Amino acid sequence: MKRPKFKNISLLIATAFSIFIVVSLIDSCKVSQQVAAKSGAQLWAENCQRCHNTPSPSTFSAEQWETIGLHMQTRALITDDERKKIVDFLKQ
Amino acid sequence: MLLLIILQQTAIKAQQTVVDSSVLDRITELEKQVSYKKSGEEHFLVVGVATMGFAAYKTTNTIGGIASTSKTNSFPDADNFEFSPMLLWRHGSKFLMEFEPSFNNNGLSVNWADVSYFAAPGLIIRAGYFVLPFGTYAKREAAGWIDKLATDPMGIADMTPTDYGVEVEGGLPLGNMKMNYDLALTNGNQLNPDGTLTNGNIVDNNNNKTVTGRLGLLPFSNSSLEIGVSGMFGKVGDQGALVQNTSGNLYAFDLNYVKTLSPILLNIKSQYNIQNIGNVNYLNPADSSTYTFNNHTSSFFAQCSIRPVGAEGFLKNLELAGRYTTFNTPSNSTFGANQHSVTIGLDYWLNWRSVFKITYDSYTNNSTASKNLGAFTGTTNINTFYLQFSIQL
Repeated sequence: MKRPKFKNISLLIATAFSIFIVVSLIDSCKVSQQVAAKSGAQLWAENCQRCHNTPSPSTFSAEQWETIGLHMQTRALITDDERKKIVDFLKQ
Repeated sequence: MLLLIILQQTAIKAQQTVVDSSVLDRITELEKQVSYKKSGEEHFLVVGVATMGFAAYKTTNTIGGIASTSKTNSFPDADNFEFSPMLLWRHGSKFLMEFEPSFNNNGLSVNWADVSYFAAPGLIIRAGYFVLPFGTYAKREAAGWIDKLATDPMGIADMTPTDYGVEVEGGLPLGNMKMNYDLALTNGNQLNPDGTLTNGNIVDNNNNKTVTGRLGLLPFSNSSLEIGVSGMFGKVGDQGALVQNTSGNLYAFDLNYVKTLSPILLNIKSQYNIQNIGNVNYLNPADSSTYTFNNHTSSFFAQCSIRPVGAEGFLKNLELAGRYTTFNTPSNSTFGANQHSVTIGLDYWLNWRSVFKITYDSYTNNSTASKNLGAFTGTTNINTFYLQFSIQL
C-alpha cells in the first residue's frame, strides 16, 4: 500500500482546519441590535461611500436597483440584509 | 308620446354603450401596457464607464550625469482612455451575469465575463473570467469615475490578474463588526522566459491551479474602516519545462478608511503588494543567454483625499487628492528599477458619478537593471499634467 506523502497530510490538515474555522465563524456570525436597527438610508450613506459617492435614488428604476444591488454586493461584499435594506431605500 | 319616450331612452342607452365600449377599449390597452412593463424573471441593464482626457509629458533621461529632455502630449492619455459599457443580466433574484467589453489602448478587450449565483446569505458562487480577489484596488477602486486621480497607482492593478476559474465570496455580520471573504481557484499566472508573469490565460500552462484569497474585516459598526489581507499561490512554470516547479507566491495588504468629519469627507486608501517567484535561470531577450536574479517585486500606494461636503455651492463639489506610490522590480534583471511617484489632483464632481479631474504626477525611475545584460542603467523623470473626464454610463 502506498504511504500518503507528508505534504498531502499537511494539506489535508490545513483544509480541515480552514473548514472548521470558516464553519465556526459562520455559526458565530450574528448581527448586533445596534447594527440590526440601522435603516436603509443609514446603510446607503455608510457603505456606498466606502468606494464611491452615494448614488442618487433617481438614477435607476426600482427593477434596475435590484440588479445594481446584486452587482454591488459582488464588489463591496456587503451582507444580504444590508443589500436588501439599501435597495429598498433606493427604490422608494 | 310614449313612443317618443321609448325612442329617446333607446338613443341614450346606445350612446352609453358607445361610451362604455370606448372606456373598455382604453382599459384593455392600459392592461396591455402594464403587462408589457410588469417585471418578469429576466432583467437587462447597461451601465459601465467612459474615461477620456489629455496628457502633457516632460521626460528627462539621465545617464552618467548627462541629461536629455523631451516634451510630448496626447489626446487622449493612452494609459487611461477607455469606453467600457457593462452589461448586466439578472435572472430572478439568484443569478447575475456580468460582461464588460472595453475599447482602450489595447484595442477591444474584455474586462470580465462571469456568472454569479447568490446561493445563500453570505455565499456567492461565481464562474467565468473575473478580477481576482487580491487587494481591493483593481476590483473596487480602479474605475475612472471612482478613482480620485487620473492615473492608477503603478504596480498595484498590474499585479492583480483577471483570470478564468471559479470563486466563492460573501459578507457576514460579526456582532458590531463585519467580515468578508473571497476565495478563487483559477488557471493562474504563467512565467515568461524573462522572469515576468502573464495572466488571463484561457488554457492553463500546467496542471496546477492557483488559489487566491482575501479576508476583510470592518471593525467599526459604521463600516468606516476596512482592512484586508490577500494571498495568491500557485505554480507558474510550463508543464514539462525545466521551470515547471517554479512557484509564484503573492501577498497583499489593503486599508480603506472613509469618514465624514464634518464638514470634511476624509478618504484614505492604501495597498501593499509583494510578489515572489522562484529563482531559476531566465532568458535575456537581447541575446538569448540565461542568467538568474532574485525575482522579488513589490508595490505600495497610500492615498488621501478630502472633500468639503458640508460647504455650499461650488465648493462642495471639489475634492483634493494626493498619492504616493512605489514600485520596485527585481534588481540585476533586465527590467529592474526602483520607481516612485507623487501625484496630486483637484477634482470637480458634476454629479455623484461624473467627474472632471486635473492631476499632476511626478515620476522617478532609478534603474537597478544589470549593466552586464546591456540594460538601461540611468534615471528617468517624467512630469505629467492630466486633464480627464470620467463618467459612469
